[in-house]
Amino acid sequence: MGGYGDVQMIDENGVRADGRGPGDIRPITIETGVVPVADGSCRMTWGTNEAIVAVYGPMEAHPRKIQRQDRAVLDVAYNMAPFSTTDRMRPGFNRRSREVSKVTQDALESVVLLELYPRSKIRISIEIVSAEAGTRCVGLTAASVALADAGIPMTDLVVSVASGKINDVVVCDLNKEEDNYGEADLPMGILPNSGELVFLQMDGDLSQDEFKQAWKYNMDAAQEIHKLMVEALKEGDSQ
Amino acid sequence: MTIPIVPKLLRSHLSDLAERDARIDGRGRWEGRELEVQHSILPRAEGSARVRMGDTIVLAGVKFQIMTPYPDRPNQGGLMCSAEVRPVAGRNWESGPPSPESIELGRVVDRGIRESGCIDVDSLCIIPGEKAWQVILDLFAISDDGNLFDAFALAGITALRNATVPAERFEVGEDYQLSVSKTPMMCSYHRVGGRFVFDATAREELGGDERIHITLGDDNNVHSLQKGLKGIFSAEEFTEIMDNAIERAEELRKIVDEL
Repeated sequence: MGGYGDVQMIDENGVRADGRGPGDIRPITIETGVVPVADGSCRMTWGTNEAIVAVYGPMEAHPRKIQRQDRAVLDVAYNMAPFSTTDRMRPGFNRRSREVSKVTQDALESVVLLELYPRSKIRISIEIVSAEAGTRCVGLTAASVALADAGIPMTDLVVSVASGKINDVVVCDLNKEEDNYGEADLPMGILPNSGELVFLQMDGDLSQDEFKQAWKYNMDAAQEIHKLMVEALKEGDSQ
Repeated sequence: MTIPIVPKLLRSHLSDLAERDARIDGRGRWEGRELEVQHSILPRAEGSARVRMGDTIVLAGVKFQIMTPYPDRPNQGGLMCSAEVRPVAGRNWESGPPSPESIELGRVVDRGIRESGCIDVDSLCIIPGEKAWQVILDLFAISDDGNLFDAFALAGITALRNATVPAERFEVGEDYQLSVSKTPMMCSYHRVGGRFVFDATAREELGGDERIHITLGDDNNVHSLQKGLKGIFSAEEFTEIMDNAIERAEELRKIVDEL
């Protein structure tokens, strides 16, 4: 983390530069059916983040060496579009994208009922077309909505949200500036119905008390975001 | 892109339809799909556009970089155009290095925009021989239901026309609107069921043959042509397409002018 102590991003009353309180999240919109040729899809905006996720499958898994006799495999690709960042993102291989793809895949494989589709593949394409901060959370959350939109059975949706620390104060859902100069970041992938986790990362510096506060902010935010996800799915269904 | 198995049934169905002068989605031979064009929709891009043609959806984003001018052209900046069709856009598109199809897409759109002279590369110079703007136009497919070429070209020129040069961020003066003096338009035709049609869908592309792309400038000057895929066409067929392209390009230009 950057850890620039001299950039003031929260005042003595706990009001952040963008007007939010410590536990508040940025505005979120969720829409399904945004990629008409896909089996399921989702567009999610979160602050000035925007992710578009398309789900294809279950379909034949090829090459055959990737097939599993007893279950389906997920093929998750997280990618940032070249115009998604302030400085143009060069298309192509990128270690960060590979890691985010992998942890997202691990999270989704924990909830999709893979054993229902032996020898098949479900492809999940996460495209970040505008990045602010917390794109992996947007990607994972939107991917679970897109899977539901595709009618793929899952034990639960996944809500991903991060909390962190700015100027020694624990806050929920860091924006771009807070992320650049923040002192910690704790993204989690939460199953809203059970409170269990399928995704967890952290970097920075948090005391045990701060860590507990960040955890609680994430759990509370997950419930709030879950409502929006369910609403979007119901709305998509009624159309 | 994986090679889809072209069902013989689809080909024969398309021929039957062509005999009755009909199309698979009920459109007329020269009729385009419903069109929706938006601009300035991506917060991180200096210029952007979203085009929807039926179920085909694409984005275009403009970014700027500072480059050192080429030694033989010390007073000029540059324009770069690249197209990406990632697996998000359809089940037949695969990840990995850019496929020949997406490279062709980017290059054909690039030629139409570049050759029209709509961007004055001399105006992109900051300090002769030292600093100049490089304009990068990235085209990105969201949903491929055919004719990505026209969607990319339309999104590309719309994004450029609404782009702001971020001089303040690079500390070389004040931000200003990128000057785009012309509005080149691409029109694409596919041979489906034996005759050419305008704005083919994915199914028409799948069961069709060769395609022809024409980019026309404001004065109907021709700026780029491309024939793609296997097939033979006659001079008469080409004349018919060109006459139609002149009409279609004018309609499209009007839409972009009115945004």
